[in-house]
Amino acid sequence: MQKKINILISSVGGQGGLSLSRMIAEASAIKGYRITTGEILGMAQRFGSVLSFVRIGINEEVYSPIFSKGEADYLLCLELFECVRSLSYLKFGGWVITSTEVKPPISASLEGKKQVEKVPSYLEAIRKHSEGNLISIEPKLVKEVVGTLRAINATVLGAFIMLSGVFDDDAALEGIRKVLKSERAIEISKKAYNLGKSIAEKAMPIHADNKS
Amino acid sequence: MKAKKGTKLVMMGNEAIARGALEAGVWVAVGYPGTPSSEVIMTLQEYKADMYAEWAINEKVALEIAFGASIGGARSLVTMKGPGLNIASDPLLSAAYSGVNGGMIILVADDPGPITTQTEQDSRWYGPLAKLPMISPSNPQEAKDFTIIGITMSEEFELPVILRTTTRVNHAVGDVIAGEIIEPKKFKSFSRDPERFVRAGMSWNLARHKWLNNRLRDLEKSTKYPLNSIEGEGKKCIVTEGVAYQYVKEALSSEKNAFKIIKLGLLYPFPIPFLSESLKGCEEIYVVEELDPFIETLLRANTDALNINAKIFGKLNGGLPLEGELSPEIIGSFLSIKRKDVVWRAEEIQVPQRPPPLCPGCPHRNSYLAILAGISKAGFNRKEVPIFGDIGCYALSVYPPLNAIWTEHSMGASISMAVGLKIAGFEKPVIATIGDSTFFHTGIPPLIEAVNKKVDMLIVILDNSVVAMTGHQATPAWIETETGRRTKEVKIEDVVRGIGADEVRIVDPYRIDEMTKTVAELLKKKGVNIIIARAPCAIYEMRKRGRPGYYIVLEDLCTGCLACIRATGCPALYTTEEGKVKIMEDDCYGCGLCAKYCPEEAIVSGEKVAKKD
Repeated sequence: MQKKINILISSVGGQGGLSLSRMIAEASAIKGYRITTGEILGMAQRFGSVLSFVRIGINEEVYSPIFSKGEADYLLCLELFECVRSLSYLKFGGWVITSTEVKPPISASLEGKKQVEKVPSYLEAIRKHSEGNLISIEPKLVKEVVGTLRAINATVLGAFIMLSGVFDDDAALEGIRKVLKSERAIEISKKAYNLGKSIAEKAMPIHADNKS
Repeated sequence: MKAKKGTKLVMMGNEAIARGALEAGVWVAVGYPGTPSSEVIMTLQEYKADMYAEWAINEKVALEIAFGASIGGARSLVTMKGPGLNIASDPLLSAAYSGVNGGMIILVADDPGPITTQTEQDSRWYGPLAKLPMISPSNPQEAKDFTIIGITMSEEFELPVILRTTTRVNHAVGDVIAGEIIEPKKFKSFSRDPERFVRAGMSWNLARHKWLNNRLRDLEKSTKYPLNSIEGEGKKCIVTEGVAYQYVKEALSSEKNAFKIIKLGLLYPFPIPFLSESLKGCEEIYVVEELDPFIETLLRANTDALNINAKIFGKLNGGLPLEGELSPEIIGSFLSIKRKDVVWRAEEIQVPQRPPPLCPGCPHRNSYLAILAGISKAGFNRKEVPIFGDIGCYALSVYPPLNAIWTEHSMGASISMAVGLKIAGFEKPVIATIGDSTFFHTGIPPLIEAVNKKVDMLIVILDNSVVAMTGHQATPAWIETETGRRTKEVKIEDVVRGIGADEVRIVDPYRIDEMTKTVAELLKKKGVNIIIARAPCAIYEMRKRGRPGYYIVLEDLCTGCLACIRATGCPALYTTEEGKVKIMEDDCYGCGLCAKYCPEEAIVSGEKVAKKD
C-alpha cells in the first residue's frame, strides 16, 4: 500500500488537540511511516482556535507540514464551533470525527442567544457537509465512562483508528504513552481510547471504504 | 532526548535544534522566550543536560552572554524570535568584527503569517547586514543537522553563525535520526587582544572589516559543508530554501522530473560558486521563498557574477505574494502545475471568530477592569485617558468586552510612548501597562527616562511573576530557575523605588475595588506613580497547586442580562440556547469576578452550594 493521509485536528486551546497530533505522529513513526505535522503553538493555545495539520506517508514521502482546503482525509474535532469552522478543509468523501462538546466563543456569547441558538444545527451541517461520513462522540458519555473529559482526545484517537485502521492498537497506545507523562493519565487515556473504538464501531457502515 | 545514536525520533523542529546543541557539544544555551523559538531552551532545561541552559533578561543580554562564552572557547547557542534579534542587533554587528573561538549559533525564528508576531519581519537581511554566515534548515532533521554544521562552521571561520528558521520548521514535527551526544566544550582560554575585542571607533576596525570580508569570501567558496543541494535536471529551475523547499517538493510530487530544484541551506554569504555551477543551462529560474524577495534580490544583483542570462520569476515581478505564508497550492499555481482535482466546499454556516481571550481567572482581567473603573472614578472619560499596552498576554485586553489598551508596539514601549505623548503636549493623564517580564526586559530604561524627565504618568506593572504568554518561563524575580539553579531574586519594587518613582503601591488585582481606588487616586497625582498589580498567572497556578474553587450559576435566578459576560469576557462563561448564562465547570478558575457583576446574585461558589446540600 502506498498512500498519503492528511488529518486536520481542530480544537479549542487547552482541549488536548496538540497532544492528539503528537500521539498520531509518535504512533505513525513506530509503524515506520513518514510523518510531518504543522501546528500553531504560543498565544493560540489558550482558549483560542487551534489547528494541527498531521500528514502520514505510508511507503511514500510527505514533505509539506501543512495542506490546503479540500485536502483533509480526516477532520478530527474536539469542539463543535471549531469543527464547523474547519469543514472546508475536508476532502470530498473524507470523514469527520467530532466531539459534540460546545464551547461558545465569547464573541458568540456576547450576542446573547442569537448565535448559540444555531448550535443544534451544527451537527446536522457537519453531517451534510461530510455526506454522512460522520462519527460523533457525546462528551456526556465520555464523562460517564472515563470520568473526565481531559482524555477526550484519546477517545477521538480510538474512533479514528477503528475507522481508518492506519495503525494498530499497540502503536496507538505506545503513541499515548510517549506523549503523556503520568501512569494515571495513560490509564485514563487507554479507557478513553477503547471507548472511542466502540463508539466508532457502532457508527461505522458495515463496508466502510477506508477499512481495508 | 536521551536516545542513542541511530534511533529514529519524532521531534518538533525546536526539540531537534536542542538535540543538535547536545550533539554539537554546546555548553552555554541562553535566550529570551519568543514564539516560535521558545521550546529550544525549554527542551534543554527539561532534559537537565550538564550545561548552562537558562533564560536571560532580554535578547541583547542573551547574545552577549553567548558571545562572551564563545570568545573564551566555549560552544554556545542563543535563541530568540525575529523581533528579538532587532534588540540584539547591536552586539550582533560588533560580534562579526571580533569573531569567536568556540562555535556560536544564533537562532532567529521568523513567523510568516504572521501567526504570533507583530510583523512579518524577514531576518534573512541580518545576514548581509551583520555580514555573518546564515544557514536555513527546511525540516526538523535539518534543524538538528544544521545546528551541528553551524557550530563546526563557526569554529572554522571564527564567526558566529545565524541559524534562521520559520514557524513551520520550529513547530513542525517530523522524524529525526539521533546522532551521538558529545561532551560539552567549556572555557578554554581568553587573553587580552584589544585589536580583536575593543571596538569603539578604533583605527583597527577597518582592518577587522577586511578580515571579516575575507572570512566570508573563503566561506562562500567552501564546499566542505553539505548545506546546498541540487535535485533533478532541466531548463526550468527552482531556487528555494527553508520550508518553501518542502512546499515545492509537495507541489511537484506528481510531476517529479519537470524541474531542477536548487535548494540553498547557506543563505549568506550568497553561494555564488555553487549557484553559478548549478544554474548552468537554466532558461527559466523560479525563486520560491517566504516573506521578502531575499534570494531573488541577490540573484538579480549577481547575474554577471553568476553568468546567467535566464528569465527570473519570483516576487519582484508579481509571481508570488509579498505577504503571508506560502503553501504547496500557491507554489503549484506559480509553477503552473496542474493540481490534482481537489473538490471542496465552503462551510455553509459561518461561525463567530474565536480570538484568544484572557484565561479564566486571569489577574490581568481584574487589573484592566480596575484601571477602567479607576479612570471613571477619578472623574475622567475612558475615551480621554489612553492606556498604553505592551507585549504579553495582557495585550489580549484589546478585544471586547474589555477594549482596554490603545497601543501595543514593541517590548517596553508602553512607558516610552506615554512619555512621548505627554511631551507632545497631551494634557490628560496617561497610563502605561506593562507585564513583569517585559518590564525587566526593556521597561527599566523607559522608566528611568520618565522619572528623570519628570513626566507625569501612572504605570501599572502587571506582575504575574512569570513569562506567561510564551509558556511560563522564569523571570529575574524567581529564586530558582527551571534547572534548579539558585538565584538571587530581583524585586520589582526595589528596582522602581531605586529609580526614584514617586509613589509605589503594591496591590492584589483580585481585590478589585481597592485597586480601583488606588488607580483613581494615583491618576490624579503628579509624578511618576507606579502600581504593582501582583497575583500569579492563573493557569500556571492551577497547574502547580490546583484552582482555588469554582462558581456556578443558579439557573432560576439568572435573568439572562449577560452583565457577567459583558463585564468580564471570561471564556468559562457562555450563553445557553435559552439565553441564560452557564459556567463551564472544568474551565472555571474560581476567581469569582463574574459573581461581582451579577445584579441577581445568581453566581455563587460551587463548593458552598455543595456544602449546603
